[in-house]
Order: sequence, then C-alpha cells, then structure tokens
Amino acid sequence: MLDLPPRISDSLLMLLHAQRVLAHLVIDDAQNLVQAGGHLEHYGLDGLQSGGPASDQIPFLEGLLPLVETPFLIRSMEMPSGRVADIHFFADDGTVWVLLLDVTAEYEEARLVQQKAYDMTLLSQREARLIAQLESANQELTRAHGELAASRETLQLTHDRLQQELRDAERYVRAMLPAPVSEPLAVDWRFVPSTELGGDSFGYHWIDDEHFALYLIDVCGHGVGSALLSVAVADTLRSEALARTDFHNPAEVLAALNLAYQMESHGELFCTVWYGVYHRATGRLRYASAGHPPAILVSGPCDAIGDGLPLPASGPCVGISPAARYQDEQCMLPSPARLFVFSDGAYEITRPDGSMLDYAAFAEILTRPVREGQSELDGVLEYARNVHGPGALEDDFTIIRMAL
Amino acid sequence: MMQKKICLLGAFGVGKTSLVRRYVHTIFSDAYLTTVGVKIDKKVLTVGAEEVALILWDIAGEDEVAAVRVSYLRGAAGYLLVVDGTRPETLETAASIQSRVNAEIGAVPFFALLNKADLQEDWAIPPERIAALEAAGWTFRRTSAKTGDGVEETFAELAAQLAR
Repeated sequence: MLDLPPRISDSLLMLLHAQRVLAHLVIDDAQNLVQAGGHLEHYGLDGLQSGGPASDQIPFLEGLLPLVETPFLIRSMEMPSGRVADIHFFADDGTVWVLLLDVTAEYEEARLVQQKAYDMTLLSQREARLIAQLESANQELTRAHGELAASRETLQLTHDRLQQELRDAERYVRAMLPAPVSEPLAVDWRFVPSTELGGDSFGYHWIDDEHFALYLIDVCGHGVGSALLSVAVADTLRSEALARTDFHNPAEVLAALNLAYQMESHGELFCTVWYGVYHRATGRLRYASAGHPPAILVSGPCDAIGDGLPLPASGPCVGISPAARYQDEQCMLPSPARLFVFSDGAYEITRPDGSMLDYAAFAEILTRPVREGQSELDGVLEYARNVHGPGALEDDFTIIRMAL
Repeated sequence: MMQKKICLLGAFGVGKTSLVRRYVHTIFSDAYLTTVGVKIDKKVLTVGAEEVALILWDIAGEDEVAAVRVSYLRGAAGYLLVVDGTRPETLETAASIQSRVNAEIGAVPFFALLNKADLQEDWAIPPERIAALEAAGWTFRRTSAKTGDGVEETFAELAAQLAR
C-alpha cells in the first residue's frame, strides 16, 4: 500500500466517493443484510430492509455467498436504476462488504466501441459466409458446366451419327425412285423432302407392253417413320405385291392397298395416294385417288399457254378405314399434253406474309408457256421457292410430269 | 420462494439478451445491441405447486479477446449455452465455454439452445457435430427469440429440472 499521509488518503477517498457514487451493503455470515448505506437510491436499491436474507432483496447476490475468494469483483453490472456499477466484494471478520461504484460513463464508452467492433465482425463473418456460398455455388456451376459440355459432346456425336444414318437412308430412298425416262413416254420429276427424309414417294412402270402405271404416295408427317411407310407402299405398287389385284384397275389397287396398310398396324400413319394407268394404244387414262390432290392435265404445246384441266377423283386416305371404297375415273389424253401429278406440298406453300399459295394459282402456273431450253419442272420448283422465300419448304415438294 | 441462478452464455451476437427479453418481457427487436458486463433479470414461474424465481444472468458474449468470466457462474444452479444456428463457429465457442464452466462449477444442468430457428434457410451447423455433442451428453433445444418458438418451454423445462 502507498504510505500516504492521512490528509492525502482522506482526499483520495473523498474523490472516489464523489466520482463513483459509493454505496455499500454489509451481510453477515447467515447471509442476512445487516447494514446498507451510501447512495443506494442511485442504483435503485433504496428501501432495503436489514435483517432478512440478502439475496431475497438483492437478486444478484443469489448463489455468490459465502464468498469463495476475496476480494471479488463483478464488472459493469446494470442496476435496477439503469446505472451501471462495478460490484466489489470484501470479506471482513465474518461479514461481507459489498461496495457499488458507478462506472456508467466507462460502460457507455466501452459499449459503443464494442458495438462497433461486433457489428464489423458480424458483417465480415457474414461476408465470409456469402463468399464461401458463392464459391461453392461457383464450383457447382463449373462442375455442372463441365457435365453439360460432356453431355453436349455426347449429344453432338449422337446427332452426327443420326444425321449420317439419315443421309444414308435418304440416299437409299432416292435410289428407290425411278429414273426419268424419255421414250416412249417422257416422264420426269422433282422431289425435295422438307427434312432429310420425307413422307412422299412415287413410281411408275410398265404393267405390260400397253399399260403404264404412275403413282404418288404422301404419308402424313415427315421423318423416318413416314419415309419407311412411303417407301413400303411405293415398293408394293412397283412390285405389284397385292394378291388378287388387277393393277390395271386403279380403284381395285387402292382398295387392296387400303386393306394392306391400315394405320393401327402401321404406326398410326395414313397416306394419300394417286394411282393412274395410261393405255398407250387408245390414249385413255384410268385413275383413282385416295385423298390426293387432283392431277392436272395441260393440253397444248409447251411453248404456248396451255389448257389446264384438273382431273377430279374422290376417295378417303389409305389406312383410315377398312371399309373405304374407291372409284375409277378416266379421260383421254390428247397430244401434245402434259400430265402433272403432285403432292399437296407442291402448292400449299406459305408466303413470307403468312398467306398461302392455292391449288388454282398453282394450276395456272402449270399452263404457262415454257421457253425453249428451260426445264419446266425446274421452273415450277423455282416458282415455289420464290413464293416461300428464304429457308427450306415446310412440306415435301414432289411433282411428276408425264409428257405426250 | 425458491430462487435459482441461471446464466446465459455464448459467443457475442447469438441472441442471449434477446432470449431474456423475449422470456421476461415478451418483446423482441431486430436491432443488435451488444451487452457489456452483466444484466440481471428475475422471472417467477410455477413449477408443480411451487413458485420458483429464476435469477437470469445475461453475461456479455465471448469474443476473440475477451473470455467469459466463469467466476460469475458461482452459485449458478444451471445455465444455457446459446448458439447462433447461422454461425457454425458459435457452436465451437459454446463447446469451449462449457468445458471451462464444467471445470469451474462442476456438472450442473444445462441446455444448448440453437437460436435463430426462424432463419432455418441460413442454418449452417453440421448435423453430425450436433449428434457428436448429443452423444457427449448435451441436450439441444431450438429457439427463436424473434418468434418466441421454444423459448418459454426451454426455460420452464430447465426450471423443472432445477426444482427437483
């Protein structure tokens, strides 16, 4: 201890007393409050009664007595009055002295500093957690991106392989189509599938020395399924593979074809078919249609405006109903003349403004004179493409021209 | 009337003061106000046929430079270790405090409160760590000082244990 003269010691005590708003409690060894003094009201402790258990009146004493160590200090305790005190405990000859010293000013200062520090720490912890979450999300994204790239590569390989197979199939389908002929009849065609494989197919062949069959099939939809059915139907007609059927008789052929290709046993696909038989000796054309657009006969020489005549025929699509009936139609083909058989994709062409070319306009195109040296079918295809504008045609474009 | 001293301990900012305010005064504020030193509150409740006064010591949270003064726990009948469910490090702080408290005052009843249960989507405490502490004898309760979920029940449960 400092060896100070009593006057100085007393002055220091007075100073402490004045600045720290001293209050005190004295508790005996039975833990009863025996004395209370000083500025108790400053701490909200006025009205204490001597004699009873101290902790009943002063809750913070609960459990602290008897003292385990002396002196003992509890720093910065908020008191009932709102003031903040350091609580000093001293054991003294069987009693415990509890001194309360006001530290409210220091408490406020410390609280402000601590508040700032904790706010900053909490913010930086939150930032660190967010950064960790972002990094984790980024890693997950990177991993997903890698997987996506790998699957895209696999997908691309599969796509390339399928494309190659489709191109092979298209080459096969094209190889099945008959080559243009010039004698004794001139038959030519244009076939532009809207996808790699279309739903259109056609053929023509001599049934015997006098009768020439010509047919066009348009299966609903496009793609592999439609192309397979279309090729199968064309092959059936080409090989005349319908039992007990007279291939000179178009209505009989379509009826037999309809029974053979019912949609429930052919992938729910159906088709339109035009089938005609030209008798060379008489110039008579017998034909029948299963839901197909009427063929057009254009009479007159190519270099003049021709006389266009649609050849109507009615009958339901092949494959829809086994009860379907077909009817033969016939007409005489003059010479010179051109017979055009085509699928609906040849004229149902959407213009860039959304309007659609119609059958009558298309028929008119076919009657226009053809300049010498120009391919009539190329001209028709070019017209269709001009009507459509840029990009591939929506539907298969197929047209057959038989010239007499 | 029976009096029991209960201390609330944990890292700073876990919600000790908010839990006391919710339990004693039925109020909550989103504003974070740090605690310096100690705040004492008293809550009387009935356990069975007996009234018990809980003397609640809300002790300033532990941080990197200031440890909890475990000497303040002398005479405590039980304590609550408060953890912020969105800050995993506060569970480790609670574990550290628990071992020091155990050394200071011995084995007394305590609960570990996973507070801020209302922020469930931001929770980051590994379940396996909780399972490990449960295996070591810890009892966890989920609380939200904001909504009041689990608060009253937890204090009542601890009081019931202390009154036996």
